[in-house]
Amino acid sequence: MARGKDKKKRKLEKKQEGDDVPKKVPHTLESLREKDETMLVNVDEEEQLEAQKDMELDELSSYYENSYEPKVLITYSDNPHTKTRVFGKELTRMIPNSISRYRQRSSVKRIVQSSIREQVTDVIIINENQKQPNGFLLIHLPNGPTAHFRLSSCKITPELQKDYKEITTHRPEVILNNFSTRLGLTVGRMLGALFHYEPQFRGRRAVTFHNQRDYIFFRHHRYEFTQDGKRAKLRELGPRFTLKLISLQQGTFDSKRGDYEWIIAGRRHQMETSRRKFFL
Amino acid sequence: MLISEDKEVEIFVASKIGSFKHIKYHTDHTKNTKKCIENLVEIKTLQKDDGITRMEWGNKERTEILIGRKNQQVQVYDILEGFTKSYTADFSNGDIVGLGRYKRRLIAGLSSGVVKIWSKKSEELVNVGKIDRMRVYEDGDVFATGGEENDLKIWRIGEPTPIFVAKNLPHDWLQLRRPVWVSDLCFLNNEGGNVVAVCSRHGYVRLYDTRAQRRPVTSVDFEKMAATCITNSFDDRQVLVGFGRGQLHQVDLRKGKPDKGFKGSAGAITDVATVAEGRLVVSTSLDRQLRVHQFETKELVYKQYLTSKLTCVLVQSDISVPLKHAEKEIKEEVKDEIKVETDDVDDFDQLFEKMETVGEKPSKKKLPLEELPANKKIKPSSEGRTDTDLEESLTDDAIKKLLKSTEKQKRKREQKKREKKAKSVFHNA
Repeated sequence: MARGKDKKKRKLEKKQEGDDVPKKVPHTLESLREKDETMLVNVDEEEQLEAQKDMELDELSSYYENSYEPKVLITYSDNPHTKTRVFGKELTRMIPNSISRYRQRSSVKRIVQSSIREQVTDVIIINENQKQPNGFLLIHLPNGPTAHFRLSSCKITPELQKDYKEITTHRPEVILNNFSTRLGLTVGRMLGALFHYEPQFRGRRAVTFHNQRDYIFFRHHRYEFTQDGKRAKLRELGPRFTLKLISLQQGTFDSKRGDYEWIIAGRRHQMETSRRKFFL
Repeated sequence: MLISEDKEVEIFVASKIGSFKHIKYHTDHTKNTKKCIENLVEIKTLQKDDGITRMEWGNKERTEILIGRKNQQVQVYDILEGFTKSYTADFSNGDIVGLGRYKRRLIAGLSSGVVKIWSKKSEELVNVGKIDRMRVYEDGDVFATGGEENDLKIWRIGEPTPIFVAKNLPHDWLQLRRPVWVSDLCFLNNEGGNVVAVCSRHGYVRLYDTRAQRRPVTSVDFEKMAATCITNSFDDRQVLVGFGRGQLHQVDLRKGKPDKGFKGSAGAITDVATVAEGRLVVSTSLDRQLRVHQFETKELVYKQYLTSKLTCVLVQSDISVPLKHAEKEIKEEVKDEIKVETDDVDDFDQLFEKMETVGEKPSKKKLPLEELPANKKIKPSSEGRTDTDLEESLTDDAIKKLLKSTEKQKRKREQKKREKKAKSVFHNA
C-alpha cells in the first residue's frame, strides 16, 4: 500500500522536476558487474602499456597492421544437413573472400595443415547436432589462437522471412561491442580479423558482434540514414546467431595435447562464483 | 600450519612478450600490494623476438639468473646488480629450451636439437635430436634432454654419447607402440643425478633410475591431460606436475598415484616452483596469473594478474632483494632525515617546551570509563544480596508485561486483517 503511494508521489515529483534531470542508470547484472582486474580501463599506465605491447606482439597483430587480406575457409562436420549448409553459405556472404567446402572426412589437423599451405588465414568449422548447428570452431592461422564457441539460437534467412538475394557483395563494416576484459579483447580481435579491414561503405552493410553477459550476439543489418542525417534506419538481413566461448587455445587446434589459454570445462563452479561475474 | 612471522619470498617471472618481473611476496597477506611488483625490463623497448622461452638459476646460491630469449640471446641477470653479461646462441635454429651452468661452463640447448657448452677455452657442440626440454643437474656434470618422439637421454658434459638412453614401455595390449613426447623433466633431489622424473604431453609421468634399468621404474598415467611442467615437491620421490588444461597435481612416484591437486587456474600451467619455508607452491599460467598455493591445505593464498602470458618462474627465499623503486624512496627518506638532523637542536628544545603536555588528558578520560563497568558489576551483586522472593516478583511482573504487549500486538494484527478484508474487492464481491 505504502509503496504504491510512494510511487505516485515519486511520479509527481519527476513531473515537476522536468526533463533536466539526467536519467538514472538502472541496476542490471551488467551494470553491477564484478570488477575484473584484467579490464583495460582503470589500470595504471605501466600496465596499460604492457597490455598494449602484449597485443602488438601477439599472433593477430599482423592483421591489425593491415599486412595481409584475410582469406577464410568455412567447413562443417561430416554430412551436414540443410540448415547447417545454408548457414555456412550465408556466412560466406557475410565474410568477404571466404569459401565454403565440405569436410570430406578430413581431420581438423589436416584441414589446418592444408589451409596453411593454401595461405588461408582463418578456418571456421561449424558443428552440427540433431540437424541444428551447435558448435563454432575458429582457428587463426598459421599459428593460433583457436577459439571454440557454443553456437545457439541460429536463425538462417528463410527462417527470418528474408531473402539472401538482398545481401550484396560489398565488404561489410564490423562492429565489436563490449569486449572489455583481456580475454574478451583477444576474442573480439579474433572475430574482427575474419573480415577485410577496409569496408565498402557504399554497401551500407554492418555486421555486429555484441557481447552481453558473455554471450556474443551476431546480427547483420543494412542501414539507411534519415534525411536529416541524425539517425539510421536499420533493416536486418540475416542470419542471426549467438556464440558462447567454451575455450581459447594457444596455437592451432590440438584439443588433447594443446595448451589452453582459457578453458571453463571442469571448473565451472570454481569460476562462476557469482551471477555478476563475466569473463569477456 | 600457520606462519606467524612475515617472511619475504622473491619471485621472478618471465613472460612471452619478453617482460621480466620481480615480485616481493610476503607470507603476511596484508602486505602484498601492487607496489611489490616491478618490471626489470623496459616494456617500451620490447621487440617481436624478445619473448623469454627459458629461465634458469645460474648458480647454487641462487643469485644469478640465466634468461634465454626467442632471438637466441642468453642474458645473465644478477639479482642484486642487474644485467651483467649476454651471449648469443645462434649455432642452430629454434628456441632456447634449456639453460644451465656447470662450474664456469654455460650450457644452452636449442629446440632443433643442438646443445652448446661454452667453457673458457673451448666451445663444444652436442647433437641430441629434437628436444622440448633440457635440464642441467645442479650438483654434477650431467644434463638430460627429451622431446617429441625423442625419449629421455642423459649426457655427461664432455662426452659425445649419452650415458643413459631411456627405453619405451612395451607395446600395449593391442600391440601398438606407445607414443613418446617428453615435455619436461627434472632430476630428483638427494639421488646424485641418477633418478630423473619425466612428464609428457601424452599424459604420463615416468620415473627413471639409471642404476636400475632403462625402462621407467614407475609410470603414472593421466588420461587426456597433457603435462607441461614438472618440479620436485617437498618430500622424496614426489613431484609437482602442471597440465595444459590448467590442473596442477602432486604425483607420488612411490605409490604411483596422483596425490593432491591445486585448483584455481583457468589456463595451462607453464611453470611451477616451490618454497621450502612456509611450504608454498608457486605457479604461472597462460591466463596471465601468478598463483601461490599453501602446500598442506591446498588453499590458494595469492593470485596476481601480470598482464602478459607467463612462461617461467623462479623463486628465492634466502636472500632478500630490495625493490628498485622502493630503494629510491628509501634513499629519499634517508636524505630527509639527514636534513632534519642538520637543523639546530636548540630549536627542537624550544619547540618541546612550548608544547603542552598531553599525557594527563587521556588518563582523565580513561578514568570514568574504567569506573563505569565497575558500577555495573556492583549492581547485580547488590541484587544478589536481596531476598529471593523479591527477585521472583520482579520476574513475574516482567512476564506479565510481556504477555500484555503480545496480546496488544495480536489485537492490532487482527484489526488490520479485518480492515484489509473489508477493503479487498474479492471479499466484497
